[in-house]
Order: sequence, then C-alpha cells, then structure tokens
Amino acid sequence: MSLASLAPLVDAAAVGDPQEGVPLALYLAVSGGLFLLGLLGVLTRRNPLLLFLAVELLLNSANLALVGFSRYWNVTDGHVFALVVMVVAAAEVVIGLGLVVAVFRQRLALDVDQMSSMKG
Amino acid sequence: MSSLNVVASTPLLITAGAATAAFTAGLLPGRTTRRHGPALVGIAGIVAAMVMSVVLWDDRLEAFGGGLRADRFSALMNLIFLSAALLTILLAWREPAAVDRRGEYVGLILVSATGMMLVAGAGDLITIFLGIEVLSVSLYVLCALEVWREKSLESGLKYLITGAVGAAVLLYGLTLLFGATGSTSLSAIGDQLRGTAFTDEPLVIAAMALIAAGLAFKASAAPFHMWTPDVYEGAPTTVTAFMSTATKAAAFAAFLRIFSGVMPDLQADWSIAIGAIAVASIAVGNIAALVQTNMKRMLAYSSVAQAGYLLIGVAVGSIRGAEATLFYLLAYGAMTMAAFAIVIIREREVEDGDTLGALDGYGRARPVLGAVMTVAMLSLAGFPPLSGFIGKFLLFGSALEADMAWLAVAGAVGSMISLGYYLRVVTVMWAPGPEGGPRKILPVPGPVGLATLASGLGVIAISLMASPLLDACRGAAQSLLAP
Repeated sequence: MSLASLAPLVDAAAVGDPQEGVPLALYLAVSGGLFLLGLLGVLTRRNPLLLFLAVELLLNSANLALVGFSRYWNVTDGHVFALVVMVVAAAEVVIGLGLVVAVFRQRLALDVDQMSSMKG
Repeated sequence: MSSLNVVASTPLLITAGAATAAFTAGLLPGRTTRRHGPALVGIAGIVAAMVMSVVLWDDRLEAFGGGLRADRFSALMNLIFLSAALLTILLAWREPAAVDRRGEYVGLILVSATGMMLVAGAGDLITIFLGIEVLSVSLYVLCALEVWREKSLESGLKYLITGAVGAAVLLYGLTLLFGATGSTSLSAIGDQLRGTAFTDEPLVIAAMALIAAGLAFKASAAPFHMWTPDVYEGAPTTVTAFMSTATKAAAFAAFLRIFSGVMPDLQADWSIAIGAIAVASIAVGNIAALVQTNMKRMLAYSSVAQAGYLLIGVAVGSIRGAEATLFYLLAYGAMTMAAFAIVIIREREVEDGDTLGALDGYGRARPVLGAVMTVAMLSLAGFPPLSGFIGKFLLFGSALEADMAWLAVAGAVGSMISLGYYLRVVTVMWAPGPEGGPRKILPVPGPVGLATLASGLGVIAISLMASPLLDACRGAAQSLLAP
C-alpha cells in the first residue's frame, strides 16, 4: 500500500486500456525533450526570472512523465506525485520571486553573471 | 496496513508543531516575548522530539499507509538533525538576523529539520521528494535572511537556483524509477528490483544516474559542488553551520535509503558511479581548500571533501559501510559544528571575523575556544584517537573489506593533503599573534558558549563512547539493509 492509494479521487483519470490512445513512448519523448530544453535554459539564461522559468520546465517535464507512466501502469501513484510536485513548484517560485524582489530593492543587477561578490 | 498510525510520526509532528508555535510566538506583543519565546518553544519541541525518537528506537512502524517509517535508521538520523537544530538555535542567540526575526529563524530551522526527518523516514518516493523540498525551501529563505547584506541575498538566490535544478534532476530520476517499477512505495520497488541485472532495464540505469546526481547536489559532492563555497560564505554563519551538518546528513540518509535500501542487488552497478563521485569530491575538496584564506570557504571545501569520505561507505553498500557512514556523520556533525562555533564567536567581535587572519593568536588569548578549535581541526584531519579518526578508519576498512581498495587509497591520500589546511588553522590559532593580543575581544553570550563547549566535548565524547555508538549505528544500518 502506498501513500498514493489514499487518494481514490484520481482513479477516474486512470481508467481505460493502456494500449489505447497515445503510446507511452510519445509521452516520454515529449517529456525528455522538455527536460533537455529546461537544462539548456538553465545553462544559457542569465536572468533569474528566466532561470526559474527553465526550472519550471524541468519540473513539468517530470510531471508529464509521471502522468504518462501512471496511465501505462494503470495506477494512481503518479497522479498524486504530480500534484505534490505542482505544490512544491509553486512554493519554490514564491520564494524565488521574493528573493528577486529583495535583490531589486537593494538595486543590484538582475544578472547572475554579475553576482560575483564572492570568489575563491 | 494502510493506516495513519500517528505514533510512528510523533517526532516529525512535534517538530512541525513546534515550528508553527515558534512562528506564532514571534508575532506576540512584547519585545522580550518576541525575542525569547520562539527560541524556548523551539528548544522544548526539539527536546520532546528527541525523547520520542529514543522511545521509538526499538520499533518498526509505518505511518500514513507506508509513506513514513519509524525504524532505528530514522530514529538515529532524527537525533542528528535535532541536535544540529538545537545547537544552531543556541549559536544564533545573538546573531542579528536571528534576534530581530527570532520567530522566523527558529521556525524555519525547525521546518527544515522536519523535511530532513521526512527524508530519513521515507517509505515512498513522494515522501523523499517532499522532504528534500521542504528542507531546501526553508534553507533558501534562511540563507537570504540578512536581506540588508548583498552577500546574503546572493547566497540565497544562488542556492535557490542550483538547489532547484538539483531537485528537478532528482525528481526526474525518481519519476523514471516509478516508471520502471510501477509503484512509488520503496518496499514495492525493492521487491520489483530484487534479482534484476543491470542490462535489463535502461530506465533503472537512467534513474540511478539522475538520482545520484540530484542527491550529490544536496550533499555538495563534486562535480555538483560549485554552489557550496559561495552559499556557505554568503549565508549567515549559523545557517551555514546547520547546512553543512544537518543538510549533508539528510542527503546521505536519502542516498542510503534509495541505493542501499532499495537496490541492494544492483550494488555492483551503482557502486562504481558513487565511488567515482567520492574520489572526485575528495580530490577537488582537499586541493581547493588548501588555498582558501576565508574560514567559511575553507570549511565549505572541507565539507566537499568530507562528503567524499562519507560516500565511500555508501558505495561499499554493505551493512559495514552504512554503519561507518552513520558513525562518521555523527562525528562530522560534532566537529564541523565546533569549528563553525568559533567562527561565529569571532565574527561577532571583528568585521572580518571569518578570515583566517582574524584568528591570529586567538588561542593564546582564549585557551578554551582555542582548544575547541584545535580538537575540531585535528578530528577533521583524522588524528587518532579522536572521533574523526575512528570514522575514517571504519570507512576505509569497509572499502578494503569489499575489495574496493582504490576508495581507501583515495581517502588516505586525501586525508594527508587535508593536513595542510587543517593544521594551518591550529598553528595560526596558537601563534604569538599581533602585539598586545588579538584585536577586540567580547564576552561570549551564555548560550553560544554552551553550544560551543557542547560540540567540542561532543567530538571527544563520540570517540570515548565509540563502542555503544557503533552498536547503535549497526542497529540502524541493519534496520535499513536487512529487513
């Protein structure tokens, strides 16, 4: 018995033959593509807001894979996991935006390349 | 089976409840209440949660339908997290960020400890992810708590960005593990993977790689350590002390739960990867620490190297390895806390208190503090008979036993290099120092002195009580690996 089995509410989403409809491989392909795009964004972007955007892409690619797997195995665990991830992502962005506002009020540049007061 | 079973989760619930109470007490009218209320509520909650962890020591319970476990492993880890939180609250007694916002400070430390306890007691992939995020998100705020200081903000933002990427990588790994097995429950995944060979499941391979990378971010192991020095230097020093002891312990709890606890049969495959991370951390951490002049940066690189030693025990994958990692986590927590305590005391006195130069001649002016720092440094360097030596001896011994001598060799070479920077601190402390003694010395506030002495004595006590503690660590390792 897993944590997820406590939530029969999402059962409705998982009914149906897994062989029907969009195959799992396509879900995974899109999810993997989103993950790579997110990683690319994290590596190339310099504005904290765009970095948060890229992190959202990473988290949501995992969400897509979770829901896809959940359909494939015909269980609800993945749906519950995806809901938890959404809440966590929201909390992270709230903290992130709060920090960005604090940085802005200190009139520091919103560019992570210029944030280098510490070196060594 | 699928019951709530609140008893198993009492340490967690008490800590979370104390966090809420501390946040509330920080808003009460009256300056004294606001300043001391949250700290007292927090300390009371921590002590109660510690007592409950000890009470639950012999049980094997599951709460929330298997999402949370209470076994010896989680009880031991809970004690590490809670002691780190307690020492941090005491050390922050006079820290500016903590005095004006005591409610937030104590509350966030407790929330972070709650997240760590979720990780250590995890029985489900969802719990692991949730715990990692709860502990990280509250630490992002704590790092940036001194909003008036540019470095603190920079540290918070950097930690947030790297931490979020690390968590996302970990999440993708957990997702693939769920995809490969069709369940999020750790015990069900363990049953599924029993007897599986490496080449059978490409999804499991990818999952192992992503999970190891994501957790290495949190444990600040090379090559995922690049955020560590900046974040450690910029954050308020008490928060740094908490991060480097408790957060590291939580990351290793997750390592042990997932790799040793769930995929023991795949050990031959993941141990090479984790061993490689360990060697890289030992090399990078020790070499970079040699050239640091800032104590916080030096301790940051030292913590990267120490993460490497700790990973040896994980890579070995045996009960002995897990036992050695747990014992070293205890010792590492005490000695790192003691080292940071001296930096915290010195930082209150002079502007550049976190530099090595500020400690020039400090031991002669303050023999007790000098002795605490000396014990911490010698133990970190692995001098017998201190606890750091016993821990390293066990770790390297477990590597030799498992025919992974290259790990022991890397660890021994790394320890030799580390003498260079640990002993430098000791010599600077006891040097004659500037004319007329070190600049400006203030009396140490009671709680800060208490916490400093407690961590210094802890280093010695752990080596004196090594055999009962080792029995406890073995019990914890067995509850993890031999169900």
